Parts: sequence; C-alpha cells; structure tokens
Amino acid sequence: MGENVMLNEEIVLKRISDAYNFAKNVQEELNAMVTFVDYNDQLENMNMHKSGKMFGVPIVLKDNVNTKGIKTTASSKMLENYVPIYDATIVTKLKDAGAIIIGKSSMDELAMGGTNLTAATGSVKNPYDTNRMSGGSSGGSASLVGKGVVSMAIGSDTGDSIRKPAAFCGCVGLKPTYGRISRYGIIPYSSSLDHVGCFTSNVKDAAIALEVLAGRDDLDMTSSYEPVDNYSEFLSGDIKGKKIAILKNVTDNISNVDVLKCFNESIEKLKQQGAIVEEVILNEKLMLAILPTYYLIANCEATANHANLNGICYGNQVESQTSEQIMIKSRTNGFGPLIRKRFVIGSYGLFVENQEKLFKQAQKVRRLIVEEYDKVLKDFDFVCAPASASIAPLLDDKHLDQLSDEYLVAENHMIISNFTGYPSISVPMGFVDKMPVGINFTAHKFDEGNLLNLAYTHELCNDFKAMKAGN
Amino acid sequence: MSLNKEYINVLAKDLMFELSEDEVNDIIDEFDVLSQQLELLQSIDTSGVLEMIYPFEEETTFLREDEVVNVISQKDAISNAFKVKSGHILVPKVVK
Repeated sequence: MGENVMLNEEIVLKRISDAYNFAKNVQEELNAMVTFVDYNDQLENMNMHKSGKMFGVPIVLKDNVNTKGIKTTASSKMLENYVPIYDATIVTKLKDAGAIIIGKSSMDELAMGGTNLTAATGSVKNPYDTNRMSGGSSGGSASLVGKGVVSMAIGSDTGDSIRKPAAFCGCVGLKPTYGRISRYGIIPYSSSLDHVGCFTSNVKDAAIALEVLAGRDDLDMTSSYEPVDNYSEFLSGDIKGKKIAILKNVTDNISNVDVLKCFNESIEKLKQQGAIVEEVILNEKLMLAILPTYYLIANCEATANHANLNGICYGNQVESQTSEQIMIKSRTNGFGPLIRKRFVIGSYGLFVENQEKLFKQAQKVRRLIVEEYDKVLKDFDFVCAPASASIAPLLDDKHLDQLSDEYLVAENHMIISNFTGYPSISVPMGFVDKMPVGINFTAHKFDEGNLLNLAYTHELCNDFKAMKAGN
Repeated sequence: MSLNKEYINVLAKDLMFELSEDEVNDIIDEFDVLSQQLELLQSIDTSGVLEMIYPFEEETTFLREDEVVNVISQKDAISNAFKVKSGHILVPKVVK
C-alpha cells in the first residue's frame, strides 16, 4: 500500500482479481467470507482515486460495516437480508483512497464473542490449522489476512476482537484510540467500548491504513478532533530510550513456556535496540475483575443497542397477528442461543434491583482499573505483554477453566485498552507448535505514531513480516 | 446471587424473546461460573468512586446548526421493510 505511482492499471486489475479468486478458492477451507462483493462497479471509478494511498488495494470489511447496496448481516440470521442504504464513513474513506472492496467477512454474531464459532454462516477456521479457531469476533478478517488473501481488512474491537484474532492468525491487528476512527455506520455492540481498526500483513500497511481511516467525523459524536498524524513517517526503527513496561501479572499467569520463550526473545531484541524495559505489577484484585467488568458493561450496553432488532425497526420479520408477537417471534428466530444468553445477562445487570450492585459497580471498577493502569503508564511510553497465553484453541476446545487466573488475567488483559480507549496493537512474535503467537503493545492516547514505530521496530528485529499461512 | 428458571423467563419476556428449556438450563449452569466472577467484582471497594461511562470524559456541549445534511428517498426508506403498502411500512394494527 502507499506505493501507487509505479502501478499501471493492468497490474492493479490482476491484483484485485487474484485476491478475489484466492478468497473464493479458500472459502471452503476457511469459511471466512459472508458475502463476495462484485467489485466491477468500483473499478469504473478507480482511476479517479489514482493518487489515493490505497489505490487498487483489494480489501475486506467485517460484516458489521454498512455498505450501500451490499448485504450487511453482522453474521446474524436476524440481519441476513439487510441491505444498507448508506456507506459507513470508513467505507467512503477507503473508496476515496482507491481501495477495492472484494468481500464482507464473517464475525461472531453481532460481534458478541471471541471465537468466531457463533457466526450464522458457521465457524471460521484458522489459516494455519483448520482444526483451530480464528479467534473473534473479527475472525473472518484475521483469517483472510493471515492466509495472505488480502493485505488489509477492517475489524472492530470491543474486548480485544481485533488484537486476539490477529495474534492467533499471524497478522498485525491495530485498535487505535477511542474516537480516532469514525464508527458511523458500524453496527454497534457496546458503545463505550467499541473501536474500529484493521488487520494488515505488516506494520507499515497498518500505518497507511490508519492515515486513511482516522479523523473527525461529524456523523459520529464520539469521534475526536485530535489532528491525524502521518503515521508512516514515525516508522524510523529507532526506539532508543523508550520505556516499556511488561505486565508481570500477565506473564506470571502464563503456563505455556514456549509462549513465554517467544515473548522473552522479543523483549531481548527490543532491549538490544535501546528500549528500557521494566516489569510492573498492577493490583491483582483489579486484574481478576477485568473480565466480569467487561462482561457486564458490554452485555448491558448490547442489550440496549440491539433493542431495535425486532423485525419491525430492523431485521427479519416473522409474521404474526400483533406487533408484540412479531417482535417476540422475530427475536426468538433471529438471534442465536449465545446472543440470547448474553442479552439475559445484560438484562439481569440492568434490572432495577441489580443495577447498582452490578452494572454501576462494573462502571466504577472500570474507573479503578483505568486509574491503576494510568499509574503505570505515566512513567512509561508503552505497556507490553503476550497477546494470548496460548496458541489458537481447537474448534471444540471446552477445557478452559474460566475461573483460573490464567484465563481471567493472561487471556483477557487486552480488554483494558477498551476500558481506557488507548491505542493497542498485536503483532506476530513467533511460532509455538507451528502456530503463530503475538505480542501486544499499548501506548498513551493518540500516540499511534510511536506505537506503530515500536511495532515496526519489533518487526524489523524479527522475520515475520512476510509470514503467510501455507507459505 | 441466584438465577432460577422463573427469573430467567421474566428476563427473556422483558427482552422480547423465548428460550427453550435447554437454553434456560444452560444459562443456570453458566451462571454458576459467572456468579463467582461477579463476586470478585463486588468484593472491590468502590465507595466514593464515580461510574466511568466513556473512555474520555470530554464534554461535547455545542449545538449544531440546523442544516439539512442527509436526506433519504422514500424508495430507500422502505427498501428494507418487510411489508409495504402505498409507499408506507405496514405493521399490524396497534389500536383495535
């Protein structure tokens, strides 16, 4: 991306058709796409965007991104026939930059999950081992970039939903600062935690993608007025004197020695580049509360956000005699079992007798976690930890102890960046059992430039840039 | 904390969907793990702490100009409707 001057039309058209055909060829293997987009209409206007930073780059959008005239299902049966009448702001930006949309990718239903096993079109497979999960909720995008089908795909991240699947599928996953990228036209999950971001095959592409995607949008009242940097210009490979905090709470709770070995090797390389690295420990009780805090806030907000999916305002309608019966039947038929369970938990947290002790308590604990994190970050430029305690789980893995510290802390620590809104990126750090594993870096708010440079420096020290499943 | 079948069905009714017997039982089973996680949450002293609603608590209290910025056609407006009659979205009678 960003190297458009030398490209002629023939090369560009071949690149797009190759990507499209590749996506079709791996569909049976990965099940990563919900809708293949006929891109010929976009080619007609392509030359108008010849100077665009993403001229002729084939891309994929997560299927919660509204695309005018193209089905947008959020991988839910409820929305299987929904065809938006407008483009999300990021779609307009991507098209203006010359990108060509070749498909809409699978996700956990309504983005409410971390496995991509709950999509209406079935589970998405990991490009490195199809017996394993892609991770979620942006699993289709991660799988397609990890396979090398496209060099950039859009995702959304409410509780590590870009950064975790990126780590599992061997690609770069960037969640920028809250408000950095407009969410206008993205089907919401949890408004106080939702972020838009991207998957790329290398850090430079992530920087270029962010230049295209970032910026104030009057149609999204949570979008920021903060000026947009030329993020590519930050990629110097120089991190001398930069201070990195390692979250010891996370590394202490990882039992997989190979994951820790990869992580320690990465850290040593960053030290050799002049980074100053120290271990820090956050309040253990607060760290154990990350997941329940997230679970309550996300499900309570989702319950409210999706009240309009009732077969009358939005979504597939099941015919009945009264409006109330239409809504009940449509919602029963339209939502998968996991979504309905999550709504029940959300409604439970919002019930009058529980609101103070559950939902509001979660919002208060969120503040305490953010304050605890800020105490660390004020003395450092970045915070760092393995993106996951393990490689991508098997598709039928049900053995995780959801009350263990490893699960509560090491497997879910990246949610903190959804609480804080700070920019966070996962990049490949090596292989364990022939599966990719990732490292996660987080920076101060709106410091995406330096965050990307750290990730870029890490990439320079390692040889994972050209990593593609099957190669 | 407890979550029995009756309570779950009240919540489901409030959410306007139905749950099968198996789904209700699943929720009860899973709630056992969740309630232990929620106990962790509730054990944290939050006295004097304000709720954090959004990541950045910057007020946006300006008023927008009263300008027309987005107009959709009738055709677009009804394009996703299940039933349409004479250019209107058709729903069952509410007032009998």
